[in-house]
Amino acid sequence: MKFGASTFIWVSPFSNDTLDLIDKVKNMGFDYIEICIEDPQTIDTASIRNRLNQTGVEALVCGAFGANRDISSEDSGIREKGVEYIKTCIDIAAELNSPLVSGPMYSATGKTRLLSPAEKKQQWDWAVENMRIVADYAESKGIKLAVEPLNRFETDFINTVEQGLDFLEKVDRDNVGLLLDTFHMNLEEKNIPDAIKRAGSKLFNFHSCENDRGTPGTGHIPWNDVFQALNEISYDGPVVIESFTTEIKEIARAVSQWRPLAPSQDSIGSDGLRFLKRVVSS
Amino acid sequence: MLKYSYDSLVYYGEDVEKSIERLAKFGYDAIELVGEPDNYDTKQVRKLVSDYGISVSSICSIYNEQRDLAHPDPAKRRQAIDYVKRVADMSAEVGAPVMIVAPTACMKTSSLADIEDEIKWAIEGIREGGEYAAKLNVKLCIEAWNRYETYMLNRLDQAIDMMKKVNLPNVGIMGDTFHMNIEEADIAEAIRKSGDALIHIHFADSNRAAPGMGHIDFAPILKALKEINYQGYVTFEILPAAADPFGVMRRGGGQEFFDNYTKKCIDYIKSIEKAIAKGDEIQ
Repeated sequence: MKFGASTFIWVSPFSNDTLDLIDKVKNMGFDYIEICIEDPQTIDTASIRNRLNQTGVEALVCGAFGANRDISSEDSGIREKGVEYIKTCIDIAAELNSPLVSGPMYSATGKTRLLSPAEKKQQWDWAVENMRIVADYAESKGIKLAVEPLNRFETDFINTVEQGLDFLEKVDRDNVGLLLDTFHMNLEEKNIPDAIKRAGSKLFNFHSCENDRGTPGTGHIPWNDVFQALNEISYDGPVVIESFTTEIKEIARAVSQWRPLAPSQDSIGSDGLRFLKRVVSS
Repeated sequence: MLKYSYDSLVYYGEDVEKSIERLAKFGYDAIELVGEPDNYDTKQVRKLVSDYGISVSSICSIYNEQRDLAHPDPAKRRQAIDYVKRVADMSAEVGAPVMIVAPTACMKTSSLADIEDEIKWAIEGIREGGEYAAKLNVKLCIEAWNRYETYMLNRLDQAIDMMKKVNLPNVGIMGDTFHMNIEEADIAEAIRKSGDALIHIHFADSNRAAPGMGHIDFAPILKALKEINYQGYVTFEILPAAADPFGVMRRGGGQEFFDNYTKKCIDYIKSIEKAIAKGDEIQ
């Protein structure tokens, strides 16, 4: 099993100023760095690739979906920008050799409206139509897309694996699967291991986060059962620790993280990885 | 034996007699009323609960923009403190021993002033409300909410810290298993650590549906309540799965929260309580 750390644990946005993070996660023992593309302008793929080659760390690309990049927006201009943004992420993924682009790409994060069935259907139709466009574009570059369900406080669109699979069925493209995150699953799934098994071969990426997004192993996520489920479905994709730094106020607000969740951000990575490796080997 | 109550918040728009009748029918000891004093004829409520043989466990206060104890504007804070006092009056009138107090507005996720100042104002407001309630023999419990509903108190230890600063014998804290599932490392341990400070608790499963419909293991939680010799009510506060559950109810959703979940909640937790009691006997 190969493990990754999200750049969000330490920074936002990722840029050439923070390339040393690649060395940091390497020294901690991670195989992947999941780079979140908040602003494509700050991403210098040549420098990143250089550092990846030096360290042997592999890249995973993850999108950040703000209000102006929303493939299911009522505003056609914003839908268009959403499609363009995902395509840019796909280009970056191809340049960094990331097999995946991940994230809640169906909508803008934080949209938690109460929609009528007709409005909901319209939103889904737009998302499905645009997902096909970006999926075909990704296919041409050999990239897969991993769609992430979020909890009810972050989206009204896809909260559970069941809804995610329903979405995939409508999109109907083989290179589109799911990213599951145990933090969100802890709120929404009746049974986390069962939900993982339900995703089966459609699971493309996995975020191993504690119930409070603190260090994995310090809360009540049933880690043994989680990894047993991953084993049962022969999951061979990345297992990524994602948390957020509370030192950057905008990010803290965006994910509602108000208190430090560990003694240091480094410990979320290093202690978390040590714990997860122990669970896997036991 | 635990005492059971159900938060009538989810019986949105229903006549209170119907709610009381339902809870009595399914074996509840009490009802939790919504902290909207204008919506109740308290004398009538007092008579109704007595007629149906139950009581009022508590008042679920509603803290919104207009009722923000931590607001930087002193006039707004005064308004919030007045609200706390009105709910204290209502509690005394319907015979509820406990009312919920929150230090700031629900769904307010960024502070309007320096957070230390806001916390100080909240403490002052809770203290003034607490002193008023003490004369009516009503207790206040400070509630922590999950990170998406407030920036101020997310964990029980933060609520206890605030309680200590308020420093009144009739002010304690409460827990809510839905919020705790997101925020606490170990729900049962957080209850044990709270000890005597815990004077009220809300039960809901991890997805805020009836216990048994999500993945929270309630056995260790019930054991922890026993260990701390918890004397309060176990009150089910379950809500539709949305960032704005009240919006769902306003639109006529959440019908399963009436008969269906009301029965499920008490049957499920009582069966665990029974199993634990049996286990204790064997030992």
